[in-house]
Amino acid sequence: MRVNGSPVPTPAPADHGMRLLDYLRDHLALTGAKEGCGMGECGSCTVVIDGRAMTSCLVLVGQVLDAEIRTVEGLAAAGHGPLQEAFVARQAIQCGYCIPGVLNSCAALLDRERDPSDDQICAALDGNLCRCTAYNRFYDAVHDAASARRAGGDA
Amino acid sequence: MTPPTPTLLRPEGTADVSRLLTGARAVAGGTDLLVQRRDGLEAPTLVDLTGLASTRPAATRDPGTGELRISAVHPLTDVAAGCAGAFPALSAAIEAFASTTIRNRATIGGNLVTGSPAADTVPALLAADAVVEIVTPDGGRRTVALADFLLGPRRVDLTAGEWVTSVRVPRPSPEGGFRKIGGRRAQAISFLNLAWQWCREPDGRLTDVRLAMGAVAPTVVRLHAAAAALEGRSPTPDVVDAAVAAVDADISPIDDLRASAHYRRRCAAGLLREALLPPSTSGGPDQHVIPTTREKDQ
Repeated sequence: MRVNGSPVPTPAPADHGMRLLDYLRDHLALTGAKEGCGMGECGSCTVVIDGRAMTSCLVLVGQVLDAEIRTVEGLAAAGHGPLQEAFVARQAIQCGYCIPGVLNSCAALLDRERDPSDDQICAALDGNLCRCTAYNRFYDAVHDAASARRAGGDA
Repeated sequence: MTPPTPTLLRPEGTADVSRLLTGARAVAGGTDLLVQRRDGLEAPTLVDLTGLASTRPAATRDPGTGELRISAVHPLTDVAAGCAGAFPALSAAIEAFASTTIRNRATIGGNLVTGSPAADTVPALLAADAVVEIVTPDGGRRTVALADFLLGPRRVDLTAGEWVTSVRVPRPSPEGGFRKIGGRRAQAISFLNLAWQWCREPDGRLTDVRLAMGAVAPTVVRLHAAAAALEGRSPTPDVVDAAVAAVDADISPIDDLRASAHYRRRCAAGLLREALLPPSTSGGPDQHVIPTTREKDQ
């Protein structure tokens, strides 16, 4: 199991039934992923597993022992610093609770689409609730980040 | 309310699952089972099926018969990619299913086994006469028609120690679709849903018409009377009216926390009418209908 590009200690068999969310937060001290609903509906615990956004409250750590996992803490190192900067520049963050999950969903999108449309951003965020309703600013920030990536010849 | 951590067992391949399943429950995407555990379901030992996905394809198509075989343990994202246009009704259902994050986990097997009358992948499979492939505790196989597999709300024909490995779809039609009505477009459990498939003859007549509707009866049901009203006819306004009027006979909706029986009957007719609109007007980005006003739930 690798998290944010580095191998992490293999969970003990007795811990295989732990939620990935709890393993990240309590064993690896990666507290970026937040628990909101705990039922896969709100998206605040979203992480990227083998390139796909998933809610870590519905994944058991024993199911992803061979996976590459990315949390919000690993976004900048994975080349998504400009996405995070765009969220700040666009003032897309109010209370911030949903943002780690939102950023992971957006990053997974940008990893497969170099110039996502509003519809594609909408679809990528269909599992992320923002109570502060900053969605229009999320769209602007994703477009900014995609433009910056293209201008940088990174895609 | 967080339940105690379950024991998670990881089988070494398909043959190992039955041995581990004694006294345990199978889990794949976990998007329903883990929520049910939170709500009090006792499942102290789970057997993980997700590892089996790497040993086989998400979907295969027999080039001779056209039969699709869909893996029950792959996430829906992979199933949609694997079916690649061969089964438009299921592809449309997956597109309307929950959210990106859930589609990246949830499986056909889980959606079948949980036995929800509102399950979004079931109408497309039922309309296409799907057959469920089950591994028995002795490691053998049995198959059961999906229509017989669904017994009632949260009840399916699966006994302890059995697990669903795949679904065979003998006759996915090249023209088909899915529509649902929910409280919102994403993450909504269907108030009701409809899948359809048919062949459109060169003269415009519809043949081999197959319709199935969810959340209007104890299980997902076929709309046999409405299909008969359409069979062999062109969907002219009179024919559409007759088919829509026939829906009532095949459904028995109830009042529940999501919608009233009266609302469901009205919407059932509307969903079929929309399905019968010309393809150019029934598709498009806004195909998942959201009611702008909602009758008061009980």
